[in-house]
Amino acid sequence: MTSDEALMLEFQRGSRAAFEELFARYRKPLYGFFGRRLNNPERAEDLTQETFLAVIRSASRYEPRALVRTYLYGIALKLVAAERRKFLTSSTSGQSAPELKTDGTPDCVLWVRQALEKLDAPEREILMLREYEQLSYSDIADLLRIPVNTVRSRLFRSRLALKSYLESEAKSNPALRASAGQPQPGRRGMP
Amino acid sequence: MSTNSHAIEPKELMAYLDGELPPDQAAEALSHMELCPECQTLVADFRSVSQALMAWEVESPEIGIPSEINAALGERFQKREAPKVSSARLENRVVTSRWVWAGALAIVCVAVGLTLTLTSRNRKEDRSTAYPRMASIEQYLMPANAEIAMARSAAPESISSDAKILVLGWHGYETAIEGRNGFVCVVERSWILPFNSAEFWNPKVRGPQCFNPAAARSILPLTIKRTEMVLAGLSKAQMIDSIKAGFDNKELPVPEPGAMSYMMSRTGYLNDAVGHYAPHLMFYFPLTDKASWGADLLDTPVTMNPQFQGGPEPITGFVIPVGKWSDGTAAPVI
Repeated sequence: MTSDEALMLEFQRGSRAAFEELFARYRKPLYGFFGRRLNNPERAEDLTQETFLAVIRSASRYEPRALVRTYLYGIALKLVAAERRKFLTSSTSGQSAPELKTDGTPDCVLWVRQALEKLDAPEREILMLREYEQLSYSDIADLLRIPVNTVRSRLFRSRLALKSYLESEAKSNPALRASAGQPQPGRRGMP
Repeated sequence: MSTNSHAIEPKELMAYLDGELPPDQAAEALSHMELCPECQTLVADFRSVSQALMAWEVESPEIGIPSEINAALGERFQKREAPKVSSARLENRVVTSRWVWAGALAIVCVAVGLTLTLTSRNRKEDRSTAYPRMASIEQYLMPANAEIAMARSAAPESISSDAKILVLGWHGYETAIEGRNGFVCVVERSWILPFNSAEFWNPKVRGPQCFNPAAARSILPLTIKRTEMVLAGLSKAQMIDSIKAGFDNKELPVPEPGAMSYMMSRTGYLNDAVGHYAPHLMFYFPLTDKASWGADLLDTPVTMNPQFQGGPEPITGFVIPVGKWSDGTAAPVI
């Protein structure tokens, strides 16, 4: 299978097929990235598209010094930050935050969302980049412009905090205990 | 967890699970963990957290490329007036770049041209001069227990627990543990790479591998032979000549039918470009046309390993990534 970086270089040289392959590989992961951070499917779709548009516009500036994966999430992080700023501005003029949609959401997913909300924002971002986007410590450090050791420390703290939430929730909700500990087939997480 | 009585700190244990430790430390972590119930508990905790997080899946609507993107693409290509690259040409380029990478590709299997190598920002150094000669032998050796643990980690426990284990000593590979199932597990070093690899002498390379019985008889002898020659101080040219002669006079075997190996360790370090790489299986044949396996095509998971391929061993190896590490946990998809 062709690497992402080789595809990106081919796209730079004019291959539409290479872009289409990158789109196929990353559309769902990027949608998941935005979906988990914005709780708004429409905006998730819009920003996924924005990410690819940014890739098209800046393709000539891409240098194979970073993994394409990291490059894409770097763009996505900037878009999320801009979206949050936009929301902050609009909320001062009377708009309210999107409601956490819970209809039909399984308990174990609600727990995960609530548990993540309890973390400090920087720790939450690191944990999510590691667990959901599968970025390495050094990639996360580069993206967030913090030392690798800080990434490791915050990741450690956030995992311990989540473990603590998991245990307390499981004690009060046996059904959650049964579902929360079950691996999800076909998904990648911490081994 | 108290760290006083542990060789590995909890954060390092977490880093090990994340595949973030260098191979020697990873092997140390693995061997410590096997004997430490407290660490096993911590590891189980980390895994349960991760598994719980994985419950949050985000379903993405199935759509094609949106019209806005199509328009942007059209605009870009119109501006460039670049010739469209045909899929055949793209494929050729990919294959070519794979061959370029082959030199840098470490260990045996990691064929997978993974052109990604191009990229890593940590690899700015010129690899052609990074390892110009053999380092001191100590740098290639490991503590025996750590090497045994690393060798076993190449395959699932159901295989490796009954496998014969070899470890590298001052004079070559030695049997550390006798086996019962015909499999042989070993940690290969950098000199199993192609002779023209820039990392041929990279002392950091550790390639855990478990050969099935057919490969233990017909592929493992190459590892043994190369190692003996390296430790005897032969030059690359002398080694190549000796291997050629070995095949000519049938001292070295051709791959037996069914020869394959497991490389599913999360603790290995296959080269500077790919690090731990991804878990995979290897299949060996006498020189074979890769088209017969559909290898190296744009969308196939099969890659031809350039490790041997007549340079000089008359052997073709195919690599197929698998989705799990040997401990049964999920691995990155390559």
